[in-house]
Amino acid sequence: MGFCTMMTIVHLRTYLLMVTCVRLLTVQEIARQLCVEHQLVFSKMASFDENSQFIVSMLRECGLAHKTIIFVLDEFDLFAQGKQRVLYSLLDAMQSVTSQGVVIGISCRLDADQLLEKRVRSRFSHRKLLFLPPSEEDLDRLLENILYLPTDTDFPCEYTDEFNGKLKNILMDGRLKDIIHAYLNSNSTVNSLLRFLFLAVSYMDVESGFLSLENFKTAFSSMQRQPKMESIKDCSILELYLLVCMKRLEVKEQSSYNFNSVMKEYKSVHDSFQTSDHYSQDVCLRAFENLLQRELICFADNRGYGQSLEFRPVKLLISHAELHQGMKSYRSCPAVLLKLMDR
Amino acid sequence: MSNEGTPQITRRTTRSSSAAVSINAAETSKTRISNVPTINDLAFDQEPINKDDLFSSFPGRRTQILELLHLLGPSNSPMLPIFIYGAASTGKTSIILQVFRHLKRPFVYSSCISCYSPRILFESILDRLLLHKKSDANGYSSAKRCEKPADFVNFLREALINIINNINSNSVNLSSDKLAGRPNGKMIYLIFDNLELVRDWDKSSTMLPFLFNLHNILKMPEVGLIYVSGTTPDTYYSSMGYIEPIPVYFPDYTEDALREIFMRNQANRKLYSSFLNAVLRPFCRVTRRVDALSIVFSSLYKVYCEPLKDLGIVPNEDMKRRLFAHLQPRITPFLNGIFRVPSQTSVEVEGNKKARWKNDAEKSICEGFEKVDFHMSASAKYLLISAFLASRNPATLDASMFDSTGGCSSHKRKRKASEKSMEQKEIAEQELLMRGPGTFPLERLLAIFQCITSVAEYSSSEEEEGSNGLGVEGSSSELMSDVLLQLSSLCNANFVTKGGNCPLEGSIRYRSTVSEELAMKVARSLRFPLSKYLYRR
Repeated sequence: MGFCTMMTIVHLRTYLLMVTCVRLLTVQEIARQLCVEHQLVFSKMASFDENSQFIVSMLRECGLAHKTIIFVLDEFDLFAQGKQRVLYSLLDAMQSVTSQGVVIGISCRLDADQLLEKRVRSRFSHRKLLFLPPSEEDLDRLLENILYLPTDTDFPCEYTDEFNGKLKNILMDGRLKDIIHAYLNSNSTVNSLLRFLFLAVSYMDVESGFLSLENFKTAFSSMQRQPKMESIKDCSILELYLLVCMKRLEVKEQSSYNFNSVMKEYKSVHDSFQTSDHYSQDVCLRAFENLLQRELICFADNRGYGQSLEFRPVKLLISHAELHQGMKSYRSCPAVLLKLMDR
Repeated sequence: MSNEGTPQITRRTTRSSSAAVSINAAETSKTRISNVPTINDLAFDQEPINKDDLFSSFPGRRTQILELLHLLGPSNSPMLPIFIYGAASTGKTSIILQVFRHLKRPFVYSSCISCYSPRILFESILDRLLLHKKSDANGYSSAKRCEKPADFVNFLREALINIINNINSNSVNLSSDKLAGRPNGKMIYLIFDNLELVRDWDKSSTMLPFLFNLHNILKMPEVGLIYVSGTTPDTYYSSMGYIEPIPVYFPDYTEDALREIFMRNQANRKLYSSFLNAVLRPFCRVTRRVDALSIVFSSLYKVYCEPLKDLGIVPNEDMKRRLFAHLQPRITPFLNGIFRVPSQTSVEVEGNKKARWKNDAEKSICEGFEKVDFHMSASAKYLLISAFLASRNPATLDASMFDSTGGCSSHKRKRKASEKSMEQKEIAEQELLMRGPGTFPLERLLAIFQCITSVAEYSSSEEEEGSNGLGVEGSSSELMSDVLLQLSSLCNANFVTKGGNCPLEGSIRYRSTVSEELAMKVARSLRFPLSKYLYRR
């Protein structure tokens, strides 16, 4: 394993370091990892200067010994906020003749390199590697790799063969390909594929010990989430009334409205339709608070300025179409509400 | 004086407490030994329950429990993080804990309500994993000081490796019958409850991605992560990539599930069932939350059973009809008080009021008491009323409202309502609905307060010679200090809030947040004619 002794990898997870003193922590973390790799004792009490000097000297030493240090910056676009001093000092250290090091930055943002300052960007080699979602062949290989049972385990041979044989049939099945493509349409990363496969495997029938197409179908349908629809189905009928009243206020083009205006609309609905669901102000206020908790509505102002709940402006967090759809699939939705929605 | 067991923080002790320490030394040293937590404490120490009990104790949750059991898998199967979400009081926390009781696997549960900052969360988890208990001996300090996520990851990894090695070595050494008392498996699970509160923390932009990424960071298959949240997963936005946890949805209970829940542990099932037939449907139209319904049903059931002399009888059809007829008129007032919690009467008072208890519970739910059910001093009440008037009345009318005659009803001029004034009235009403109570400066509040109390003093001194319970002395400086103190306690009780600063005037403005109902109640208790002073458009 000659390579391992020639390389030292320092893995910086930026999101762990994004606290107030970024530079201090980063330098401390780099020094700590270097110490761990080279079996040196790391002191937490070391100051920022001591740590930086240590890093510089480590770079020089490793350069002289022909060892490389690889800095991996996970989510480095977080370092690109503010003055980018960490990035600058790191890349600057790479520029000296003695140091033999590589800085690799990883990011979800395609424009992460645009975020860099001029002085940082000038030290950047402009080499980018783009990782795309898996292609068709990659997908097949991934599925085989992940799902097939390896032959060198404790499982009896016949079981492994039967399992893999049944799995092969499923993987060739056109229906499975449809399911997987439909799933990957919404989220095509490998991580989400992993999630889907884990879910399918968790539904495996433990008695028989074999995967079936049904497992994949169940996994797919349980991944199809519509959280706002679920929230609407959870609402009580009074809460639906309040939502419909808010929708009507929006249709009437009232730019801002609060609980009191909703109550006024609610009363007018009751007066015109003589509904049986007319409740007191207290009850409606609690239902209103429940809606806030479900995040179907929220306050439209930012702070509130000490206003009590009834006077703060609110707004709907679901669209009219979503509300309509949710109500249509609601069990025993009052006909009045559906009629009001259609207007 | 020397203390038993050196505390890490030197404290000053009184003679009596040091004496007490030396007396109890023997006992505390014994208890100290038995209080050291062991690996067994990481699993439930109650009797394990089997699968059927698990299903029967949570009616209507069979699908969710099965899903959780599938995702957790058999013993020692690694898992991807799970995200349990649902509205309040849908049983998420209790079910996940009981599932772990059934599976007898070690877990560490933390709630983001009690661990309200990153540091407390980290240290509490580490304490339990390091089997460290905060006690007198270590000065109630945590095992490790941990504020930053980076430190937490390092400590967590060490602690988890320790624990897992512990479990492994113990299961190798012990024989199978001794294993019976120990938790199952070689995995340990971390449960984070009430995750939605983390969004409001100061460091939420780093904390939330960190928590969701914990699985990737640790890369330990022996650790399982479970998140429990009261809000849906789409309310957690992040610009970082992470493996989204697998969602498990807990819908609100259906009516049938609610019926099963309420029927549990009922002494007289047939009677309660006929009660539920009458009330469940109308109340479910308002809310399906178990916590709200259980309170109102327990009071309503007492009302339902009033005509019965024997609570153990099985009702026949005729009796059911009679009971329903008795209950019917009470349903609507209870519906309108559905979210009120009846005030608890103390034990001594309860003895006196036993005969009236049923009525009181009903009354407190339905009517919410005609009187103010908390104590306020008289001057505080006057201050509350003055604040209410200052918020409701426009400042320009103060002079006419509070002149020496007191009250302004005589000033209202009846004018024929023209169309324009009707329109203006409507617009003004709309504005009032939207804007809410107005703000007022301190001086105006004090001026109104003085007017009101002088009027009241005048009228009360007419009724009773000399004696007034107001405490309004002659010297104005005493009055001021008392009033300012009362104002600050009103602010603490949220009856009066501080509005925004007016940049021109530079003084703080206040706003009254009491409802007209409460102000009326307070005024009634003082026999103050509030409606005379209230400006109505």
